[in-house]
Amino acid sequence: MDHTDPPLLDDELAAFVCREVSITVASCDDDRIPHLARGTGCRISPDRRQLTVLLAAPAAAEVLADVRGSGRVAVVFSLPATHRTLQLKGVDAVVVSAAPSDAEHAARHADAFASGLELLGYSAAVIRSVLQAAPAELVAIRFTPSFGSLQTPGPEAGQALRA
Amino acid sequence: MKLKLDAIRGCLDGAIPGTIATCSADGVPNAAYLSQVQYVDADHVALSWQFFNTTRRNILANPFARVALIDPLTAAHYRLLLRYRRTEEEGPLFEIMRAKLAGIASHTGMAGVFRLLGADVYRVLEIVQVPGATLPPPPPRANLLAALRASVEELCLCSELDGLLAQTLDCLERHFDIHHAMILMLDSSAGRLYTVASKGYDASGIGSEIALGDGVIGVAARERTPIRIGHFAADYSYGKAIRDNLERSGQAASMDTEIPLPGLPRANSQLAVPIRTGQRVLGVLYVESAQEQRFSYDDEDVMVSLAGGLGAAMQLLHHGTQDHCDENRGTAHLPPAAPTGPPLQVRHFGENDSIFLDAEYLIKGVAGSILWTLLRDHAETGRTAFSNRELRLDPRIRLPDISDNLEARLILLSRRLVERKVPIRIEKTSRGCFALRVERPLQLSHVPAPG
Repeated sequence: MDHTDPPLLDDELAAFVCREVSITVASCDDDRIPHLARGTGCRISPDRRQLTVLLAAPAAAEVLADVRGSGRVAVVFSLPATHRTLQLKGVDAVVVSAAPSDAEHAARHADAFASGLELLGYSAAVIRSVLQAAPAELVAIRFTPSFGSLQTPGPEAGQALRA
Repeated sequence: MKLKLDAIRGCLDGAIPGTIATCSADGVPNAAYLSQVQYVDADHVALSWQFFNTTRRNILANPFARVALIDPLTAAHYRLLLRYRRTEEEGPLFEIMRAKLAGIASHTGMAGVFRLLGADVYRVLEIVQVPGATLPPPPPRANLLAALRASVEELCLCSELDGLLAQTLDCLERHFDIHHAMILMLDSSAGRLYTVASKGYDASGIGSEIALGDGVIGVAARERTPIRIGHFAADYSYGKAIRDNLERSGQAASMDTEIPLPGLPRANSQLAVPIRTGQRVLGVLYVESAQEQRFSYDDEDVMVSLAGGLGAAMQLLHHGTQDHCDENRGTAHLPPAAPTGPPLQVRHFGENDSIFLDAEYLIKGVAGSILWTLLRDHAETGRTAFSNRELRLDPRIRLPDISDNLEARLILLSRRLVERKVPIRIEKTSRGCFALRVERPLQLSHVPAPG
């Protein structure tokens, strides 16, 4: 990707990935065996070019290993209330330490996500438990989204953000 | 200990959508949300194929998939490594998933968007619990195995089909806390199921019919498999059939030959289980609830077991009753009372064996044919005592086949007469014997089938 290109995410999409969305991270190893992990929050750089997805390291061990090996990652963001779903992929992903403020960021994300789902009739206690991450276990994957597609179920699912 | 798929079935009912990761032939990962993960057997699951998307392209090129599932009660998080095996585009598994998807689609506002193209079957290679916090499981709602045992013990004591049907519905209520249920028998030559017993509805719907393939009951019978839906689905709703029926009957009440199906106006949970003996489907046990996700995989297991016992008992009673009538006992305690009052006009339409009493529809089909035969014999000879055995052999009745459950037809006819409060009754007098009781003079007329 040329740095003169505009970022893949516009302001609206940049805001979307930081909302109370469900975040799922996928990777695969050298044998093309896929792995999955749940994200517990997302930060975006001021120029909208880089995403940093937070994860609990023990639950994401295989994904972290894959990303360290290949730099490839796919992340899906979905807002349960509307089913709006966005997938972003990158080829330059790196595993980085969590920033000091990330523990609070992850806790806020889990709270917002659980509250959103509670309105839809889900058990907030279960959702909080799923996303619960000890601050010491937080780690992050940072990447430049080089491909994106909207995946909200329907006729336009799979439509690329930019050809 | 190695985790078994059976142990995490609670995660498969879709309360929290699962996620899937796949990988293209050239190593590009992809993630997606799953509408449905279906338990197939101890080693296989099926995923719904709804769209030609990246997941689909990937698994055709590289058959490995990773699926993450969360237990909706304990938050326990599992990851499964799967290998794609095949796609089924028809048959029991496809229909199970199609019905369930209809419920999920309607629940999530995706009706009209979700359409099942195929059931993708995967072998489960590995199940791992993801490290993380979990919640203690809530106490179980009930001990389903104890309920099943108590029910089966009670059903074993039933010596007649009528009692067996009533006892089954009673057991569902007392032991399983299921308050809306019906039992339908299959007329395989007509391709229809008819209701012989029900519980929990304003109108019993005895005698109402459903075509094979219609709604969860018809699909369960046609595909010989349990069908279970945890959310309201318009396509599978009998409430709609009832409303349509009511509308129709409002327009043409006098000639309508449809008995409305019983059913909740809005069933959010439905479970239909075939009643079988060997390879033959005898009928369907159907339960429903206004509560969402009321029936789990475990409920389905016990209902299948209960229906198994029911099928065996039906078969046993069916064979046991055929030749057991002591016809002399049949009339002993029923001296024929002389019919009084204005004559009742009984019309029989040869076209479909429907019977109308004055202007009111009573019954049609085999049950109509039985009643017509009884009434004609009664009119010609004054006889009131009959046996199941002679009816079974009577060419006028045209039973669909020798294995047809005549007993069930008689139960249906007998209940229908009582429900319609007509001055005609058939009453069991002893095993395999019954008496016809006519309280008003009858005027019989036959309308031959056209052509």
